[in-house]
Amino acid sequence: MTVGVRVDRETFRNFSSAEVALFYALACVALAVFAYGVFLKLRKYRRGRFERRFDNLPARLARALAVVASSTGVAKRDALAGVLHGALLWGFVALFIGTTIVFIDDDLLRLVHPAWRFWHGAFYLWFKLLLNLFGFAFLAGVAAMWLRRKLFGLPQLDYARVDRPAGEYDRSAYVRGDALFLGLFLAIAATGFLVEGLRIAADRPAFEVWSVVGWRLADALQAAGLPHHSSSQLHFYVWWVHALLALAFVAYIPFSKASHMVTALATLVFADADAGRRLPRAVAGSEHLGVKKLADLSWKNLLELDACTKCGRCHMACPARASGAPLSPRDLILDLREYADASWARPALEQPRFLGRDAAPQPEAALAGGVIRSDTLWACTTCRACVAVCPVGIEHVPLIVGLRRSLIEDGEVDRRLGEAFESLARRGNSFGQSEKLRGRWTRGLPFAVKDARKEPVEFLWFVGDYASYNPRVQEVSRALARVFWRAGLDFGIAYDGERNAGNDVRRCGEEGLFELLAEHNVQMLAQCRFREMVTTDPHSFNTLKNEYPDFGATYAVSHYTQVLVRLAEQGKLRLKAPLGKRATYHDPCYLGRYNGVYDAPRRLIGWLGLDLVEMPRSRQNSFCCGAGGGRIWMDESNVRERPSENRIKEAVALGGVDYFVVACPKDVTMYEDAVKTSGNEGKIRVRDIAELVEEALAQDGPA
Amino acid sequence: MHIVVPLRQSPDLVEELQINAEATDIDRQAAKLGISEWDEQALEEALCLKDGSGAKVTVVTAEGGQAEELLFTALAKGADRALKLAGDFSAPMDNHRLARALADAIGRLGANLVLTGVQSVEDLDGQVAVLLAAMLGWPHVSVVTRVELAGETAQVKQEHSGGVSAELEVRLPAVIGVQAARRTPRYAPVSKVRQAQKSAKLERLAVATDGRSGLRVRRVFKPEAAAQAEMIQGTPEEIAAKLVAILSERGLSR
Repeated sequence: MTVGVRVDRETFRNFSSAEVALFYALACVALAVFAYGVFLKLRKYRRGRFERRFDNLPARLARALAVVASSTGVAKRDALAGVLHGALLWGFVALFIGTTIVFIDDDLLRLVHPAWRFWHGAFYLWFKLLLNLFGFAFLAGVAAMWLRRKLFGLPQLDYARVDRPAGEYDRSAYVRGDALFLGLFLAIAATGFLVEGLRIAADRPAFEVWSVVGWRLADALQAAGLPHHSSSQLHFYVWWVHALLALAFVAYIPFSKASHMVTALATLVFADADAGRRLPRAVAGSEHLGVKKLADLSWKNLLELDACTKCGRCHMACPARASGAPLSPRDLILDLREYADASWARPALEQPRFLGRDAAPQPEAALAGGVIRSDTLWACTTCRACVAVCPVGIEHVPLIVGLRRSLIEDGEVDRRLGEAFESLARRGNSFGQSEKLRGRWTRGLPFAVKDARKEPVEFLWFVGDYASYNPRVQEVSRALARVFWRAGLDFGIAYDGERNAGNDVRRCGEEGLFELLAEHNVQMLAQCRFREMVTTDPHSFNTLKNEYPDFGATYAVSHYTQVLVRLAEQGKLRLKAPLGKRATYHDPCYLGRYNGVYDAPRRLIGWLGLDLVEMPRSRQNSFCCGAGGGRIWMDESNVRERPSENRIKEAVALGGVDYFVVACPKDVTMYEDAVKTSGNEGKIRVRDIAELVEEALAQDGPA
Repeated sequence: MHIVVPLRQSPDLVEELQINAEATDIDRQAAKLGISEWDEQALEEALCLKDGSGAKVTVVTAEGGQAEELLFTALAKGADRALKLAGDFSAPMDNHRLARALADAIGRLGANLVLTGVQSVEDLDGQVAVLLAAMLGWPHVSVVTRVELAGETAQVKQEHSGGVSAELEVRLPAVIGVQAARRTPRYAPVSKVRQAQKSAKLERLAVATDGRSGLRVRRVFKPEAAAQAEMIQGTPEEIAAKLVAILSERGLSR
């Protein structure tokens, strides 16, 4: 570079002092509006219930930053969106850092100690190169996101509601909000490069060749015949357009989708890794258990509502939504946000407009059954797909259960569900059968199953309702018992001492009944001597493992697939011959997504000599059978296509799959029904993994 | 408006019933007791009237057994007052003695309306409401599926056979035997029942239990099998052939 040439640029090129003053005045206005918006939000969060989420802050921050930095959240079920979001995110971060550097150098150091200024020379050149590259990434990312929206017609970005006919609401504010957000980004990025290009075209400082995009743009402008003096003049105007857009954006952030840049990060920082897996107990001394009014939402809930970007991943993943039920996790969150903003944080952009019969919700309305319809809340299967897929860490399931608790307190319970509850309270099972018959399924086994209340056992088998009472699943229980016996496993059951573990009761929001069941089981299990617990039901598995510790009872709990794979790998199970069929495996929500047990069943399937073909939605993305969260006890009449039928179709579409392998008692009944009702009898067979193991075993009795 | 709802504890038929050693009654120690399902309907109808017009609802049941659970559940559902009736409720408790005890209780409590289940598993002939009305000297309607209050009278819907219903007007005070409430009985969340157990008080009322039916139980026994059912097995053709053979053998086919 030429000695004597100062390598930097003037911030206010050819500006009068009045113009500079005008810019700073406008910047102050923008910052004031921004600050007011932030104040509205903080005031809203402060009105929420207090909740403690401040443990391990450094670790929380590190985890959240890792998710944000890698855009892995956005990449869930949409790798392209992840890449594009990564580009624009890093572009934005770099531009933000760049602007901050200029602010420090030009606005602070200039006043404080001009000799410390550093934004010139080699630093300036590297700065220019990097910001040009990142700026280009930003522009390209935003432009590609725009095209994705315009061209792909993605159903998750169509804001149609599932609970109201088209004429009854108006969500055009959402569409305008999205357009404004993307449009502002595009315009700011484009005018930013244009300002640079025009300046370079006008002044041609040789060192600006480091501004790789701006330089080429200047070349293009000149090639297009833009005269030198016009560039200089135009620079002034475009500078102002760019500045005004950027300031408008600053003011707009807290009132718009743009606020997710902060709220999403905060939500991820304060996320609960156990969300939904371990539900909160009732707060001692509180007047009611559930989320009744807006003030029952915690600051974290309110923050989550603001973090939603309407990306629609939950909307697509939700089995209730897919079945035609009036629930979309996205709309639940948006409805609550709009209501919270209308009540506590006006002025807010993107307010709902309910047309026709339904008026906008009244202030102080009940959330459950008011702002959110009760049939919407009852439609949830608590499969946790929404929580798992959400890029910004929204915890829908505990929120829905909180709202259900409020419905239960108001006695708003479907007739069938009420009958199930009464039977569970009275007899400890949902089948309306005598508790004395719980161990009856063991009759007909070639050996006596130990009563774990009377003699010590190595494994206490917590059998669960379906495996104990449902005639079809009883066969599976007997198969599993015979497999355990042949493997020489020392196991027993608690017979009529056992009650439903309460996992789904709790997820219905019937917290009192859950406590009743849990307290009984904890007391009963304290009388038994065992080393480890094994469950048939992934639902029981979840609550015994994750929630009973809150009742002072911590057990080593395994799912039967985990025990079987251990026995197989220890050589205690011997294979007669590989089964040699094609099989697909359905991950039960409460085993896979809830507890991360994906591999044990797959290893067993491999050990059995089955050829495993994965369905498109597997592991983390597994599609719920529709029975969870107490749905198995409820009316199904509002369902267009049962989730289980949808799932069977997915498996049949793989082509030539013999077995639909399951590892959950409810799945046996759900999918055997679904195979029939979807007209796929003879095409695919539902097999519990325990039955397959028994079929493949070489040994007839304990070795 | 004061509505009294007597709740009867009846054995849970999901459990197998045992007969006591003297063969004079079922074994009530072994039996699992719970609210009679028709009384649950009567309570629901009473609570619906309370919701609609602010009536006061009092529930009563004989002391012992599951009395407390029944009463606390009723309070959790919205009943205003709950009483345990004290007296000699030892088995066998026939309908006359029960009606006598209830009449005594209602005489002391005062009521404009008594809603009770039209029957129970131990009163399939639906006598208690009838006897109670007779003892109180009040009018009575049975097999009712809806009650509406109208000042000094109540409009009731009575269910008849063959899908026919009648609308009747009855002067109050009256005793009504409820077949079904206007809606499914409400669910009492366990947390509310537990809350009632902690905060609500059950009262105790000594009542006369000297009613006499003039009947004596000679023997209680399980139904004796009159004949065996034969399950026909085989292919549809074989089953059909066997059926034809059996029918013609017994002269039932032409």
